[in-house]
Amino acid sequence: MTAAEQPSTRKPPPKHHGTRRLGMWVLGWQRFRRNKTGLLGLVLVGIVFLVALFCPLLAPYDPNDQSAMLEFRSKAPPSWKNPLGTDRMGYDVASRVIYGAPTALVVGLGSMAVAAVIGIILGGFSGYIGGMADEFLMRFTEFFLVVPIFIVILVMVRIFGIVVVGTPLEEIPYLNLSTIILILGVFGWPPIARMARAEFLRLKEMEFVEAARCIGVGRAGIIFRHILPNALPSLIVIIALGIGGSILMEAMISFLGFGDPKAISWGQLLSFNYEFLKIAPWASIAPGMAIFLTVLGFNLLADGLTDAFNPRLKE
Amino acid sequence: MTAIAPHNDQLLAVKKLRVHFFTGAGVVQAVDGVDFAVSPRETLGLVGESGSGKTISSLALLRLIPRPGKIIGGEIIFKHEDLIAKREEEMIKIRGKNIAMIFQNPAYSLNPIYSIGDQLGEILTWHEKLSRQAANERVAELLQLVGITDPFSRLRQFPHELSGGMKQRVCIARALLCSPPLVLADEPTTNLDVTIQAQILDLLQELKERFHMSMILVTHDMGVVARMADRITVMYAGRICETATARTIFENPRHPYTQALLATMPRVDHSYSDGKTRRLPVIPGRIPNLIEPPSGCRFHPRCPASDDECARILPELLSLEEGHWVSCIKAG
Repeated sequence: MTAAEQPSTRKPPPKHHGTRRLGMWVLGWQRFRRNKTGLLGLVLVGIVFLVALFCPLLAPYDPNDQSAMLEFRSKAPPSWKNPLGTDRMGYDVASRVIYGAPTALVVGLGSMAVAAVIGIILGGFSGYIGGMADEFLMRFTEFFLVVPIFIVILVMVRIFGIVVVGTPLEEIPYLNLSTIILILGVFGWPPIARMARAEFLRLKEMEFVEAARCIGVGRAGIIFRHILPNALPSLIVIIALGIGGSILMEAMISFLGFGDPKAISWGQLLSFNYEFLKIAPWASIAPGMAIFLTVLGFNLLADGLTDAFNPRLKE
Repeated sequence: MTAIAPHNDQLLAVKKLRVHFFTGAGVVQAVDGVDFAVSPRETLGLVGESGSGKTISSLALLRLIPRPGKIIGGEIIFKHEDLIAKREEEMIKIRGKNIAMIFQNPAYSLNPIYSIGDQLGEILTWHEKLSRQAANERVAELLQLVGITDPFSRLRQFPHELSGGMKQRVCIARALLCSPPLVLADEPTTNLDVTIQAQILDLLQELKERFHMSMILVTHDMGVVARMADRITVMYAGRICETATARTIFENPRHPYTQALLATMPRVDHSYSDGKTRRLPVIPGRIPNLIEPPSGCRFHPRCPASDDECARILPELLSLEEGHWVSCIKAG
């Protein structure tokens, strides 16, 4: 072979910028960077994350500080003292909205973490095994899709709230919020399971999976080293979409008064203040905008990720 | 059935192998009683048209028949052990280490998210329990052997950064990492352009000599087997038609299907005009539906020499002379 006999003194091939580790991810990022709406989503999500991380530094008041009430300044319009005004209970709206960010993120990420674990395990199993197990699991998934989740969640939250009264469980902080997160996760997995199944079905037939089997890679290696990493881009897209959905869902639950009274959430702020919409609109508009921008951010991010990882869809 | 390879010290002997696919439409008899054998350092060409069962036969050696297919009978004797009787955990140790495979489509047989070094090193850390450093060195050494320049920097490259011919070289290197005694090459050059094809074939030949390997070359390309194979087995519709040395197959084919296959090969030294039209000879008809294969000899509906006997009698593989086996009742 002439190529092999060439002296190794030839110049190394030109360095590619950035395509060194995990090629697929780096390529995806390069495509994502060119997508303006996706970047906007990333910026919005980034802002929410930063606000959530640094809320004690950013908030002008303690979120439970009602001192404005004592000065007869409840429902006060935005001013230098209260940048977004105060609400009907004398809380500083800006501080409450800022302290709502960690709650929203915990709900979104927590519920989707639960949903992702259930969805990827069930969907992946379904797609990889196939046959009767697949049939059964997909019918099970469809059952979860047709259940009117919202009503089920309201009922379960209320029943759970009554059941725990007087038990040691009551002592757990944010128990109600944890319940909502768990229920959102338990009812939020079907889209993830369907996507995971589709990806596993597609990837298990790929030649590189066949090739990996031929060199003696066992079942666990096939699933976790060869199939799952290739399925992740699609799964991340649907999970990002689900985070926005969960945040919206939690806002709806809190708005209806079924949320955790101890956790400050945007839906709860709306619920407290919507009756005073005419007198103190700022107290409703601020949390409403926060919900809108956060959910928009996650949806745009998901959209950008779709374009980045499945460039063929656009063409 | 006695040995059908010229030597007794066979590396691999497949006897009466039957693979059926249990589909909703019926049982597809994809491989139905196939015998072949490979001696050490020998290249066996497995030839046939699409759907003749050649790929399924080679996958059966690794016990990787895709569902709903199943090996329902026969023996695969590899190094004096029957692979069909082995447990799955034992097969995992055989795949890659003792029998390796080179695939048809190099573009899709490398995992897109791992660098060359990572995915080739995987085999070594798994089968030979090498450290990462040692695995990397061995991978680089093999990349050098398959004609890839600057192997250490290639280790960090990803499949999409390589050309098609380069990817096939990487796939060949992967197959050879554990120096397996037997390599299955399933149409290794079909998806490459002609100049690269020749290079890859030369490379396979050279590596086969160097590593003292045996090879089963699965292809539909008579030109490729003519160049590479020591012996040739011709398959049709899940059965063996003829097995002989490459020279015998080309000079003295006895099965009508082999003869027809050779006649369809375009040749530059041959004029195809028969007065008015100029066209290549073709085999009339098409490969039969293997759910309900033809009675008797499976080739008889398309065979120019067939008669009523052929529709009734399923021909056995019979020896015409030393090392030349034919399954045709007319050939005796």
